Amino acid sequence: MIRVLVVDDSRVMRQIVIRTLRQAGYDWEVTEAGNGVEAMAAITADEPDVVLSDWNMPEMSGMELLTTMRANGFATPFGFVTSEGSPQMREQAEAAGALFLIAKPFTPEAFREVIEPVLA
Amino acid sequence: MTVVDVEAVFEIAEAVFAAMIDGDHGLLVVRDDQAPVDDPVVAWVDICGPYPGRTAVTTSTATASALVRALLDVGADAGVTDDDRTDAFGEIANVVGGNIKALLPEQGSLGLPRVATAVPPTVDPLVLTLRLAWRGEPLDISVWLTQHEGGAR
Repeated sequence: MIRVLVVDDSRVMRQIVIRTLRQAGYDWEVTEAGNGVEAMAAITADEPDVVLSDWNMPEMSGMELLTTMRANGFATPFGFVTSEGSPQMREQAEAAGALFLIAKPFTPEAFREVIEPVLA
Repeated sequence: MTVVDVEAVFEIAEAVFAAMIDGDHGLLVVRDDQAPVDDPVVAWVDICGPYPGRTAVTTSTATASALVRALLDVGADAGVTDDDRTDAFGEIANVVGGNIKALLPEQGSLGLPRVATAVPPTVDPLVLTLRLAWRGEPLDISVWLTQHEGGAR
């Protein structure tokens, strides 16, 4: 079973992301983190198969998390789930090594569209 | 610059509510009256950068609790804590504000959502207030924006 780490400072949004993953057909094993610092500790302790992270968070942003992961040798597949889906943000995400960016509000179809190519 | 207008903001709000809260369109509509929201709770996010501003969502405390229940997909009798309301209502403002920021010609950064009973003053001018009704209950969206280059903070 694929193990996903869902990172968002909003507990409610983490629940919505997890619910949407299930609605999209991904019955994955889920762990949660409330910011980039917590996420980095979780990744270091037990690297997941994929990370889905908010961008804008206190303590450590999603972008800082991604660059810290890569600097520490973690090549874990990484996608943003964020309210900021402008072309500039997408370019920044891709340049930093993110595989995709899902803009909020999202649908299960939006999850499938970006996750299916990664699984393939 | 007129990229942030009532039509664009309504389109964003309708998409947010349909996808995150209602599962369908039609439950968020423009309302006719201009009356202020009773027992208000306000969630807002600030935009910093070349086009600084703020997006705020205002509704009654009871309606904010109903929004939380809808977001969490729980029944009408489910309890809502202050933390849940702050978290979920703030996230609604965050998503609406993030999408409004995406309309701007240049992207700054988005602040973290804040929730209170009133929105604090801002130096940026109010450019619009969209008076809406969600499931018949008043809900306002206001946008402040400095719409000229060189407004960076």
